Amino acid sequence: MLAYLGRRLLWSLFTVWAVVTLTFFIYNVLPEDPARVIAGPQARPADVARIRTQLGLDQPVHVRYGRYMSNLVRPPPETKDDAVWKLGPVRIDLGVSYLKRKPVTQLLAKALPPTLLVGFLALVIEVAIGAAAGVLAAMKRHGVLDYGTVGLTLVGISAPTFLTGLLLQHFFARELKLFPLDGYGQTSAEQLHSAFLPALTLGLYGAAYYTRLVRDEMITLLKEDYIRTARAKGQREWLVIVRHALRNALMPLVTVVGLSMGGLVGGAIVTEKIFRWPGIGSLSVDAIVERDGPVIMGVVILFSTVVVAANFLVDLSYAVLDPRIRKR
Amino acid sequence: MRSIRTKIELLAALAALGCSTGVAPPIGENRDGPPQRGGVLRTAFFTDVRGLDAATAFDTAASAIESLVYDGLVTYDDAGKLVPQVAERIDVSPDGKRYSFPLRRGVSFHDGAELTAADVKRSIERALHVKTPCPVPSYYERIVGFSAYHDGKADDLTGVKLDGDYQITIELTEPDATFLHIMALPIVAPVCKSAGKVWERTFASKPCGAGPFKVTRYENGQIIKLVRHDGYWDKGKPYLDGIDWFLSMQSFTQRFKFEQGDLDYIRELSEADSLLYRTTPAWRGRGAWEPSLTTGGAFMNTEMAPFDNRHVRRAVSYAIDREQLASVRPGHVRAHAKMVPNVLIAPEPGYPQQTFDYARALEEMRLGGYPYDPKTGQGGYPKEIPYLAILDSYAQTAAEIYQQQLAKIGIRLKIQVVGWPTFLAKTSRRKTAQMGFAGWHADFPDASTFFEPILATKSIQDEESQNAAFFSNRQLDDVLDRARRSTDEAERKRLYREAEDIVVQEAPWATSYTYSYLELWQPYLHGYRPHPVLSQHVRHAWIDGGQKKVAARGCSRGLRALDRFTCPERGAGRSTLALAGGPR
Repeated sequence: MLAYLGRRLLWSLFTVWAVVTLTFFIYNVLPEDPARVIAGPQARPADVARIRTQLGLDQPVHVRYGRYMSNLVRPPPETKDDAVWKLGPVRIDLGVSYLKRKPVTQLLAKALPPTLLVGFLALVIEVAIGAAAGVLAAMKRHGVLDYGTVGLTLVGISAPTFLTGLLLQHFFARELKLFPLDGYGQTSAEQLHSAFLPALTLGLYGAAYYTRLVRDEMITLLKEDYIRTARAKGQREWLVIVRHALRNALMPLVTVVGLSMGGLVGGAIVTEKIFRWPGIGSLSVDAIVERDGPVIMGVVILFSTVVVAANFLVDLSYAVLDPRIRKR
Repeated sequence: MRSIRTKIELLAALAALGCSTGVAPPIGENRDGPPQRGGVLRTAFFTDVRGLDAATAFDTAASAIESLVYDGLVTYDDAGKLVPQVAERIDVSPDGKRYSFPLRRGVSFHDGAELTAADVKRSIERALHVKTPCPVPSYYERIVGFSAYHDGKADDLTGVKLDGDYQITIELTEPDATFLHIMALPIVAPVCKSAGKVWERTFASKPCGAGPFKVTRYENGQIIKLVRHDGYWDKGKPYLDGIDWFLSMQSFTQRFKFEQGDLDYIRELSEADSLLYRTTPAWRGRGAWEPSLTTGGAFMNTEMAPFDNRHVRRAVSYAIDREQLASVRPGHVRAHAKMVPNVLIAPEPGYPQQTFDYARALEEMRLGGYPYDPKTGQGGYPKEIPYLAILDSYAQTAAEIYQQQLAKIGIRLKIQVVGWPTFLAKTSRRKTAQMGFAGWHADFPDASTFFEPILATKSIQDEESQNAAFFSNRQLDDVLDRARRSTDEAERKRLYREAEDIVVQEAPWATSYTYSYLELWQPYLHGYRPHPVLSQHVRHAWIDGGQKKVAARGCSRGLRALDRFTCPERGAGRSTLALAGGPR
């Protein structure tokens, strides 16, 4: 078991390193000059050259890579540099944003909570709508409700988030004035209120997908012998649905929800821009557009670490559940 | 009975709108009244503001806010003329190499400290220090001692001298007609002592200057909140209590918020929304076009075939129908056929400009050795020419129009659409890009900025050349040098006319258009006009509180549901500014 865990841990570390290295070299071999972007399109060549020197961009790529990696994770001694994030005995230094001139660790720390808030709300919305609509459609199979639901899910899956976002913004914020048009708010209540439309934008896409999943699963389950038995025993229909069918139908949903976390982040990139939501999505878009290397690297490191950590935990759970894996 | 009820409803509606009740003066017609103090102006940027350190932030968005937070030695008056700001006056030596600035007494920074000559020197040195990531220090290279100081070989900038506590003198290595313009940039504006002698990145998020507003909240991508600096030296100003400047706000959201009265001034409407406002009767005449300090067109690389051939370049410049370019985005894009925008030098009859002349274009192709027969489509330049355009910009649209227009003289363009960083990388490398979008925005409002950085021989480099046409012309270089050194305005105008003529004859650029923004502001916002030089210059704006309340009441009573565009209009009978004229 320990050997297995050790192997998985090493493999996870290697994966993060590979992603970081690949991103670093892709970013650095592009024929684009961050110094020129920083200085502005009209900056004089001498000024661009000086900025390049200040940022160390005049060094060969392998030297920059070595410097970046050696700064990335370093042991004590203690430092007062606010660009450094202390994680127990380890210091993580993601550098300073070229354009905002703020430590990347600070930018990520500030952007992460809004993204998590919207992501969590979106998850709740998509699972709630998906489960309810899927069950109803399965119960009324071949009826108007079923066809209507299936039709709507097709629209939901096909509509890009920027379109859904704009429509929701138009009706709920502009016309009905139920929610703010955009922004984050200052108090927790304001933030929760402001998070609803971006979360709904993200959630509707997932909801459409989950509706279909639950509907199909329920249709299959409702034909099972144990459902027929439950009905034959005279149980009420809603009890049969909720207690016997839905519980089993949710199993694949839980699996897919776990896998779709990456998709939520991808959708957030567009949604956050529409709603001026100060999360990782907005940060990523700005960084990519402005070729802000340290921020791009920071976001990549953050997400690759999260994904790899999640996979590691899944592997771990397999090992716990399956004795054959433990013995490998 | 029915008609009486209708009349009562109508009167009630009019009363609610304050149209004829005398509750408030007609909206938009109180511009000559005394300014009112108070109120918070709300506006927005499409982009984020990266930072507000005067020494490093030089983009349009940051500059607009910096002009409110920092006062410089000099600035521009409402007509765009250079005038002293924290300086009391400007004394220039007869040889044009020495500028003295006696300072106003009693100017205070936002932290309460008095602004002295030492602060001015410290701020200039801080901006030009070797460790400061200032984007444009080379603008100041003619200050005595610049090189030694900027290279870190000297501890102070010897050309900047203190004459007591309230006077500063700056010496130049040679006369420079643009010097006062670069001193008007926020880059060298005095900053509080908390900024230190050497740049530190933390100052960008807590800026402190001597301008009329101070920053109380700054959140990237969200908002910059400004409040009035009560110790401002110009007593009684500013009129506004504060300004809320929202950041990273989408164009359509800006429009929605403007309609709802949640924004008081907007500038970044989409093309469609701009057209909507211009064609909606209730909004006709409200707002104005921002004066354009931009020249757009196409560069031709004079070191690469076929544009190493002067006749081919001239053929291109004659083949472009600039009115057609303007017609696809009426109002925002205007035909323009010279380097310097008309705001800076208005062309009198006979002024050298490129022209559309199809017959002449064909003749130039023949002279260039590539005759083209439009009837048969035979001839012309035999190869496709790659044309670099920038993604999602008017440059992309213009490229498609150029492609059609130049095909008529036998030049076939293959458009390559790239992102801005790639565009910069390719066009600045020698013998890499044959042709592409050319655009320039005034670094400062002087004609020199439209020639020296982009068409002078000294701006050519193998890498990072700003002269994308790699155009080298000794006569032009000489004219530009003389114009920069001259302090005689008439002489300078004559020299720049000469420079324009060289561009017409040599055609390294096919100048084609200018691009301008439509600015709209609510009828209760007064004291604002587009400034000829400074973008979004809301420094002297004021809000009529009474009118604003009336406007809000009108909106809330459902008028918007009938016609949202009539909401801000109530009571106003006449236009305030004509939109029909287009940008200057």
